[in-house]
Amino acid sequence: MRLTVPHLGHLDIFLGAMSRKIGPEFIFPPKTSSRTLQLGVKYSPESTCLPFKFILGNFIEALEKGADTIAMISDHGPCRVGMYDVVMQQILKDLGFQFDWITMDDTHILRDYLIRFNRERKRWGVSFWDSLEAIRFSWKKVKVSEFIERMAHKIRPLEMKRGETTRVQTDSMTLIDDASDFRALEEVQQRCREKFDRIEKDESRNPLKVLITGEGYMVINPHANQDIERRLGEMGVEVTRTVWFTSQITYALRLDCLNPRSKRSAIKASRPYLRHNIGGECNASIGYPILYKRDGYEGVIQLLPIGCMLEAVAKNLLVRVSHEHDIPVLTFSLSENLSETMITTRLSAFVDLLQKRREKRRRNR
Amino acid sequence: MSLRIGIPRALYYYRYFPLWKTFFEELGFEVIVSRPSHRGLVEQGFKFADDDTCIPIKMAFSHTLNIKDQVDFLFIPRLLSVEPRTCCCPRLAGLPEMLKYSIPNMPAILDPYVDERYRDSHLFHSLFRMASELGKRSREVKEAYRKGEKDYHVFRERMERGEKVPDLFPKGERESPLPQKKIALVGHPYCLYDPYFNFNLIKILEDAHVSLFLQEMVSRKDIETEIRPLRKDIYWSSGKEILGASLYYLRSKKVDGLIYLTCFACGVDSMIEPLVRHKIGENGGIFYLCLMIDEHTDPAGVQTRLEAFLETMERRKDHWRKE
Repeated sequence: MRLTVPHLGHLDIFLGAMSRKIGPEFIFPPKTSSRTLQLGVKYSPESTCLPFKFILGNFIEALEKGADTIAMISDHGPCRVGMYDVVMQQILKDLGFQFDWITMDDTHILRDYLIRFNRERKRWGVSFWDSLEAIRFSWKKVKVSEFIERMAHKIRPLEMKRGETTRVQTDSMTLIDDASDFRALEEVQQRCREKFDRIEKDESRNPLKVLITGEGYMVINPHANQDIERRLGEMGVEVTRTVWFTSQITYALRLDCLNPRSKRSAIKASRPYLRHNIGGECNASIGYPILYKRDGYEGVIQLLPIGCMLEAVAKNLLVRVSHEHDIPVLTFSLSENLSETMITTRLSAFVDLLQKRREKRRRNR
Repeated sequence: MSLRIGIPRALYYYRYFPLWKTFFEELGFEVIVSRPSHRGLVEQGFKFADDDTCIPIKMAFSHTLNIKDQVDFLFIPRLLSVEPRTCCCPRLAGLPEMLKYSIPNMPAILDPYVDERYRDSHLFHSLFRMASELGKRSREVKEAYRKGEKDYHVFRERMERGEKVPDLFPKGERESPLPQKKIALVGHPYCLYDPYFNFNLIKILEDAHVSLFLQEMVSRKDIETEIRPLRKDIYWSSGKEILGASLYYLRSKKVDGLIYLTCFACGVDSMIEPLVRHKIGENGGIFYLCLMIDEHTDPAGVQTRLEAFLETMERRKDHWRKE
C-alpha cells in the first residue's frame, strides 16, 4: 500500500515522520506548483472552490508518481468538503487511474482512527508503545516546525537583508525533516534558534501587526494564498495566522479549553455577531479579529476561495466587526486566476493605510 | 391594530409559504409578502448585498428592502436543517445577521432557529417559542401550527400530483394543447419558481409544447430509494432532493430530457451537478442541459439555449427513428 494525502499545512511532516518510524509507506504529491493547479482546474467542475482544484491536482500528480491509495478527510456538512470524495473519485476514475480510496469521516473521528490505526498497527507488527512514541515524535516535529514559522513571522519584518529569514526558515525545515529522534530534534531546535539570532536585525523598527484569518485551506497553505505571509513580512509587517495544524487537531479533539487564543474562544467571541455556530471556520473568522484586537493587532486580512459557502457569511459580518472594533479588514476572495500584481498592490495599499492610521493616532495623542 | 409580519418572497418562501402564512394569519397577525420580483426591486438589493454570495441571497436582500418599512417584524427563519440527518446551505443560517448588519434601519427580526436534527429545535418548538415571546397563548399557537402544517401538506400533495399551484404558477392556467416532449426540471425551489430569476423558463417551455415534470413530483420515498445505492450521505437537503429526483427521472424513463437550473456561486449545485451529469453520461437515454444563471444573463441567452436544446432533442429523435 502506497498511501497519499493532499498537501495541507504540515501534514506531510507529521505523516512523513510517522511513516519512517512505523510505516506505512507514503508517497507525497510533488510540491504544489502551477502544474498542479492547471491539472486541477482542467479536470474539476468549473464552479467548485479553489481547494478542490488544488487537492485534485495533488492527487493526480501523486497517482502519476506511483501512489495507489488515497486518504482524504470528509465531514457531514454544511461545507462542501464532505462531498469531495464522491466527486473526486468519479473524476479520477474517468481519467483511468486505478486506486483505493479511504475516506476519513469526522463523525466518529477518534473511534474510527483508533480502530483503523490499531488494525494497521497489528498488520505491520508494530507494538502499541512504539506507535504511541511515533505519534508523540511526529507531533513534536510539527510543533517545532510551527515554532520556526512563528519565529520567522516575528523576525522577517526586522531583517536588514531581504530574504534572509526565508532562507533560514527553509534550511530549518529541512533540518527538522531530517531529525530522527527526540534528542536530534532538540538539537535542531537549538541550532535553528541560533541561526535566527544571527540574522542581522534592525531592532528600532516597530512593525505593524496584521492577523491573517479566513478559510482553513487558504490560510494554512502558502501555495494557495500566494505566500502572503512572506510578502507582508517583507513589507515590514509582523503577521500571525489563525489556522495552525496543531490548533485544528486540538480543537477537533477538544483539548484546547485552556488556550485563550484557541478556536473555541474565538467562536465564543463571535457570539454577538453570529448567534449560532454554523460550522467551518466561519465563526472563528469573525471571532479571532476581536480577540487579536485586544493584543494590539492593527489589521486583519481575510482569505477565502471564491464562492465559499461559509466565509461569505463571515465576510458580510466582518464589515460590522471592523466598524465596531475599529480594525481595518481586507478581504481577498481568490480564484485560480491569481495575479501576483493584484495581491502586492492591494497589500501595499493596505499597509499604507495602516501606517497612516498609526501616524494619525500618534498625532492625536 | 394587529401587528404586521413581513415575509420576503425569496429563498425558502417558495417551499414553506403555506405554512408560514397560515401560521401567522391564524395567530391574528397581518402578513405582508414582498412584491413578486421585478427589475427595479431586485437591483436595489444588489447595492447592499455582498458580492461573494449567490443571487438568491442577494434577492433576499432586495425583497427585504421592499417590505422593511411597512412592517413591525420581519420573519427570517434561521434554517440549519429542515429534515432529520441533513442540513441546509450555511448561508441561510447566517442570513438574519447578514441582513441585520448590511441594511440600515431594519425592523426587529424574528429568527426562529430551526434545526430538525435536534429535538428541542424542531420547527414546531422554534415557532412555539417565537410566538410565546410575542405574547400568544400556547393553545392558540398549537392550533395555528396544526393548520399551517395541514396547508403545507396539502400544498406538497398538490405539487406531487403535478397540479399548478396558483401561488407558484400565476400564469399557468393554460394547458398546452399537444405536449410533444417531456422534460424534467430540477433545481432549488427559489430558482425554479421565481419567474424573474429564470426569465419565465416554465412559461417558455410550456409555450414550446413541453409537458413539464417538476422535481416536487417525485415523492420522498422515491428520492430515498434513489439515493441509497450511492452509499454516500448527501447531507444537504436540497442537494439530496435534486440528485434523487434527477436519478429517479433518469431511471424511470419518464422523460426525454432533463434541465438542471442553477445559479452562479451555488455551493450545493457545484457538487451535485457533476454527479447528475456523470450519471446521465453513464446511463444515456436522456438529453441534459445545465442552465446557469448569473446577474448578467439576459433573456435572449436563456431563450437561445433553450431553443437549441429543444431543437437538438427533436433532430436526434428523428435520427434515431430513421435508424
